[in-house]
Amino acid sequence: MDVVLWVVVPYVCLTVFVVGHVWRYRYDKFGWTTRSSQLYEDRLLRLGSPLFHFGILAVFLGHVMGLGVPKSWTEAVGVSESVYHVLAVAVGAVAGFCTLVGMAILIYRRRTVGPVFSATTKMDKAMYLVLATVIVLGLANTVIANVFGHYDYREGVSVWFRRIFRFDLHPELMAEAPLGFQLHGLAAFGLFALWPFTRLVHVFSAPLGYLTRPYIVYRSRDDQQLGSHTPRRGWERTR
Amino acid sequence: MSTDVEPESRQPGDREVGLDGGLSEALVRSRRFFTRAEVSDDLRSLHRTGGRGADDFYRDRWSHDKVVRSTHGVNCTGSCSWKVYVKDGIITWETQQTDYPSVGPDKPEYEPRGCPRGAAFSWYTYSPTRVRYPYVRGVLLQMYREAKSQHDGDPVKAWAHVVDNPLRAKAYKSARGKGGLVRASWDEATEMVAAAYVHTIRKWGPDRVAGFSPIPAMSMVSHASGARFTSLVGGTMLSFYDWYADLPVASPQVFGDQTDVPESGDWWDAGYLIMWGSNLPVTRTPDAHWMAEARYRGQKVVAVAPDYADNVKFADEWLPARPGTDGALAMAMGHVILREFFVDRPTPYFTDYTKRYTDLPYLVVLDDLGGGTYRPGKFLTAADLPTHRNAENAHFKTVVMDTRTDEPVVPNGSLGHRFGETGVGRWNLDLEDVDPKLSLADTSWDSVLVRLPRFDTPDGAAQDLSRGVPVRRVGQHLVTTVYDLMLAQYGVGRPGLPGEWPASYDDAAAPYTPAWQEQVTGVPAAAAARIAREFARNAEESRGRSMIVMGAGTNHWFHSDTIYRGFLALTTLTGCQGVNGGGWAHYVGQEKCRPITGWAQLAFGLDWTRPPRQMIQTAYWYLHTDQYRYDHFGADTLSARTGQGRFGGRTTADLIAQSARMGWMPSYPTFDRNPHDLADEAAAAGRPVAEHVVAQLKSGDLRFACEDPDSPENFPRILAIWRANLLGSSAKGNEYFLKHLLGADSSLRASEAPEGSRPRDVTWHDEAPEGKLDLLLSLDFRQTSTTIFSDVVLPAATWYEKHDLNTTDMHPFVHSFNPAIAPPWQTRTDWDAWQTIATKFSELAAEHLGTRTDVVAVPLLHDTPDAMANPHGVVRDWKAGECEPVPGVTMPKLVAVERDYAAVGAKMQALGPLMEKLGTTTKGVTYDVNASVDYLRAKNGAVRGGPADGRPSLKRDVHACEAILALSGTTNGHLATQGFKTLEKRTGTLLHDLAAEHEGKQITFADTQAAPTPVITSPEWSGSETGGRRYSPFTINVERLKPWHTLTGRQHFYLDHDWMAELGENLPVYRPPLNMGALFAEPSLGDVGELGVTVRYLTPHNKWSIHSEYQDNLFMLSLSRGGQTIWMSDKDAAKVGVEDNDWVEAVNRNGVVVARAVVSHRMPEGTVYMHHAQDRLIDVPIAETSKKRGGIHNSLTRLLVKPSHLIGGYAQLSFAFNYLGPTGNQRDEVTVIRKRSQEVTY
Repeated sequence: MDVVLWVVVPYVCLTVFVVGHVWRYRYDKFGWTTRSSQLYEDRLLRLGSPLFHFGILAVFLGHVMGLGVPKSWTEAVGVSESVYHVLAVAVGAVAGFCTLVGMAILIYRRRTVGPVFSATTKMDKAMYLVLATVIVLGLANTVIANVFGHYDYREGVSVWFRRIFRFDLHPELMAEAPLGFQLHGLAAFGLFALWPFTRLVHVFSAPLGYLTRPYIVYRSRDDQQLGSHTPRRGWERTR
Repeated sequence: MSTDVEPESRQPGDREVGLDGGLSEALVRSRRFFTRAEVSDDLRSLHRTGGRGADDFYRDRWSHDKVVRSTHGVNCTGSCSWKVYVKDGIITWETQQTDYPSVGPDKPEYEPRGCPRGAAFSWYTYSPTRVRYPYVRGVLLQMYREAKSQHDGDPVKAWAHVVDNPLRAKAYKSARGKGGLVRASWDEATEMVAAAYVHTIRKWGPDRVAGFSPIPAMSMVSHASGARFTSLVGGTMLSFYDWYADLPVASPQVFGDQTDVPESGDWWDAGYLIMWGSNLPVTRTPDAHWMAEARYRGQKVVAVAPDYADNVKFADEWLPARPGTDGALAMAMGHVILREFFVDRPTPYFTDYTKRYTDLPYLVVLDDLGGGTYRPGKFLTAADLPTHRNAENAHFKTVVMDTRTDEPVVPNGSLGHRFGETGVGRWNLDLEDVDPKLSLADTSWDSVLVRLPRFDTPDGAAQDLSRGVPVRRVGQHLVTTVYDLMLAQYGVGRPGLPGEWPASYDDAAAPYTPAWQEQVTGVPAAAAARIAREFARNAEESRGRSMIVMGAGTNHWFHSDTIYRGFLALTTLTGCQGVNGGGWAHYVGQEKCRPITGWAQLAFGLDWTRPPRQMIQTAYWYLHTDQYRYDHFGADTLSARTGQGRFGGRTTADLIAQSARMGWMPSYPTFDRNPHDLADEAAAAGRPVAEHVVAQLKSGDLRFACEDPDSPENFPRILAIWRANLLGSSAKGNEYFLKHLLGADSSLRASEAPEGSRPRDVTWHDEAPEGKLDLLLSLDFRQTSTTIFSDVVLPAATWYEKHDLNTTDMHPFVHSFNPAIAPPWQTRTDWDAWQTIATKFSELAAEHLGTRTDVVAVPLLHDTPDAMANPHGVVRDWKAGECEPVPGVTMPKLVAVERDYAAVGAKMQALGPLMEKLGTTTKGVTYDVNASVDYLRAKNGAVRGGPADGRPSLKRDVHACEAILALSGTTNGHLATQGFKTLEKRTGTLLHDLAAEHEGKQITFADTQAAPTPVITSPEWSGSETGGRRYSPFTINVERLKPWHTLTGRQHFYLDHDWMAELGENLPVYRPPLNMGALFAEPSLGDVGELGVTVRYLTPHNKWSIHSEYQDNLFMLSLSRGGQTIWMSDKDAAKVGVEDNDWVEAVNRNGVVVARAVVSHRMPEGTVYMHHAQDRLIDVPIAETSKKRGGIHNSLTRLLVKPSHLIGGYAQLSFAFNYLGPTGNQRDEVTVIRKRSQEVTY
């Protein structure tokens, strides 16, 4: 059972995540969008969207820190467990709270504003459910684990997670984790599996390039290509 | 660079030119660390190589596999040729063609042509409203299937089982319009249709089936498809031009010709252009440019329109005449022209023109009324002159007074010369050395008072006045000229003449002065007089280049024939008819089928059987939708006081019956018995059919069906509709159709005529029938108001999916439809669909019908000697004992026709042998088409075996196209030349040189596929295109002295038929719109009450659609407001608290309409517009008044038949299909309109 939950499920989900994105990018470029609803409503959006997005960015960075950086590294640079802990709880709670409030506003808006609700697909609804579950569970873990008990995920979940990518499998690390972390992990992988089929793909096309891009872009023709149309399959230049 | 900017010119707060600020600049500068692409020095641009993959998207968007020429068969004057683009087998979009023939040097060209409506058409191909499969009404199909299984699979017995049982019939008829159409296969649907035809023909007779498809020119082959089937089985084809009220009855009355008008390119040739009730930019969009352009070469443009219409902004002057009063303005303008250009200062050009080309100098007998007053009577004819009394056709040779001898003479060119031996070479307008007198005033001051009718009180009541005319005595007759009568009628006095004459232009009491018209129309007297003067002055100086472009706004009225005669008086008095750049330019839709002869042969099956049955549709529906039952007034309501009381005690329905039995107008179903049975009875009695029928009629055993239209044996039983949307567009009295014809739900609110106001000769049934029609069949490519009421709907190919031909009046070229894709889903071209039906029909007919003899009653026809059946237009009713019933003289001709019903399928697909045997005849000229038939046999291939063995094939639509082109003079130079040579024998003038330049030219279908192809000058029409000139009607008459097809051979101001006199319309006269308050107890215009404000209800053409087409098109719905709208003025809206876009409800006795209001100060107070043919499929909610779905534009209209339109059998007032007939006018209507609850349900 542990193997299924903590080995098979993660790999399946991650595979779906990767292959799914490649597939979506190739076959549904015009559907690769946030499906913005700003046109229908912007008062609530102006409040909820930055709250959610900046919150979730901080949460993401927190996960990079917590999951990606081994405990030994932070200790090597002199950050003690307690310092790290205070820092993580403080920043994590604020970021999580922002995310949660932002998401609550966005979901409220999506349900109550007619035009926005009309523009909501079934996939959107499923995605909101899973995303909300992941976030709520994550925040709950932060609160519960740090206020009521103590579980050092950096020695359990993080190690398990990092080793997945090294094909060094340690399902037992996860099996020992508290229920909250288990659920959060499972829900997160569920989200990863859903990800390529939802509007979440916009994460990979965040318009960061605009920050540094001049206003006008000239694209000259590719010297390697005859004509202006990409050659059809079977009609590429041979030399 | 900021340093170059002068410090003085900088304003505080101005920003440096540059990027958004330091931070932006720093960020962009950092770009170089992230990319290999080059960032320009000024940081504004980035240069990359490649990365243009996204281009593929938009290049693919506009790439296509092929471009196909086609057009839109939509009864639009445009006739624009389009490029249709196809990609991956899908029609994607269309763009304008540009390869039209040149209009000639120094003129603007045709191209580019096309409007947003045409550009939206490709949407239909894959639209949700597309009819993709055959559909049958579910209840009907179920009953039919059950019945078929009970009758050993015999479809005919099964159909009879269903329709002959009242309960079963009611079950499916009452379901019409309520959904429930289910898919069926082509086999099953056409089998049921064929069974219906077989059963109906066997039980009720072939004239109980009817076909309606309008405007052949918009797609000739598609029109011919069902018309050919209908005609071959002996069914009735219903007219459309008169039915649409687009037929200006004044055209046959004045010109003896069906509307013949200049092409739009000829507007450019005019020096003075009046747009009279015609909104050119909206209704003739691709041609309006000529009007705009001609102003730059000095043309003056005047608009007459009640509202600030789109065309008004192009005009130099706007005369806002009140709706329906245009006749008054025209009469006043005529008054000014007669006064200033004839009486005060005779104008040589006008005098010469009117002497030669009009009936002005012809002598009219005055009838003594006693008491020293007279009434204008009949034309003096050769029969009244002792020297000519015994001449051939003497009653049809009219007389003028010769100036030199001061004696009456009989000039060439009258109707009496058109037929008979002695007329050969003399039917022409050559006056030789005769100089006719316009007026008798110059030699004789003998004068008498004539009583002339006037109807100019607001309620239109008949009055009269007395004015003197100079007279002479010829034999025992006192005569005067038409000119003298015209001056009296128009009130143009001359010294010494007695009577009531206007004192001056400012005399408002006397018709028809400018001041008089001001009270009626609201147009200032001075403006009316000035425009008249300018119009005539321009005509005088340019020798006839003054033009009136007239529109439906002036032609859809009950009395539009009088309005138009007022217009035509202006263009004819000033010598503008038959001149390029002059005359009338009637609006026409795609009225003119230029290759008319070829089309007519195919459409009416004239190559196999003659004569076909052709019916005036207005009278047809007036009777068969029982609208006559709701007329509360007698036929004499509109009579003049100078009449003889001929209509007394009778209703309009009685007059229709009289017109039918006298052979004036056609009438189908004809008799109250199956014509097959009549033929069988005659055969059994061993006498000719005609003799038998006459005997039966005389004894009273047989009656005309129109004398008892509500008896079941006289119902129309089958109606097939294709290329048309009868119930969404033209069915005036929509609710009457729904109730009586279809037996569906209706919102009819009118009450039937009480006892005492009912018809005298037409039988009255206490209970009006409902659901007369057994089968409503429609073929269409989209769901319309007609298909949803149909019992069977067959899926048709669109205009981008078939071969066909297209022409209009307004362009002298013929061009083609071509399939961009094959008909998708289960759709078929009309040609294929009707072949399928015909084949099925023949299979079933072989067993159930076989060969039968039919009796066809044919009315007295125009352009034949029939036009001489009634000398002097004297009414002789055999039923009243005034004469004997003689077929072809005092009653319809009765022709026995053998019909081999089993051969109909084979005949549909081949050109029949009557082509060689009888030739083809158009407008009195017969063509020998042997060479064309041989050519077609080689071109199309010959049929092998069966009834049509060896005949040229018509199996495919392209074959039909080739046949039309090869059999018409306009597209076959040999025939045009031959026709002119035939005509020359009669006229004795040179004509054939007009076509000589193209004698060897045969336009083929391939030519029309390559580009729109100019047609050849032909005797089928009255104008000349010879040498590349622009088409203008009657140029052949004027230049080659060929007579008009009228009594005198000239253009007529005076009409001497008994019924014209009865109505007081011998001469042009002003008649106001009908008084609906008096006729139908509707509230008066302007009344404001609890139910709303009473306004005039007009249904003009729409800016966002062409009839009902495009109105439901998503693009057009987006461009327009979408859904049904009624335009009303801000003043009327304020009276009933309506704001723009509010839901309103319009109610009158005819029905109910719900629509949104468009409130605009463009509209005049007291008038609302509901653009016609806004289909009921788009956004029509439930009405509060009726609790039923709230109707369409025609829910508020109904038919009203004008008696004078029923005249026949006399000179130019003789019937021909779409040439003459009662108009389906609808503009005199009023409605009460109010704001309704803004919560609507559907």
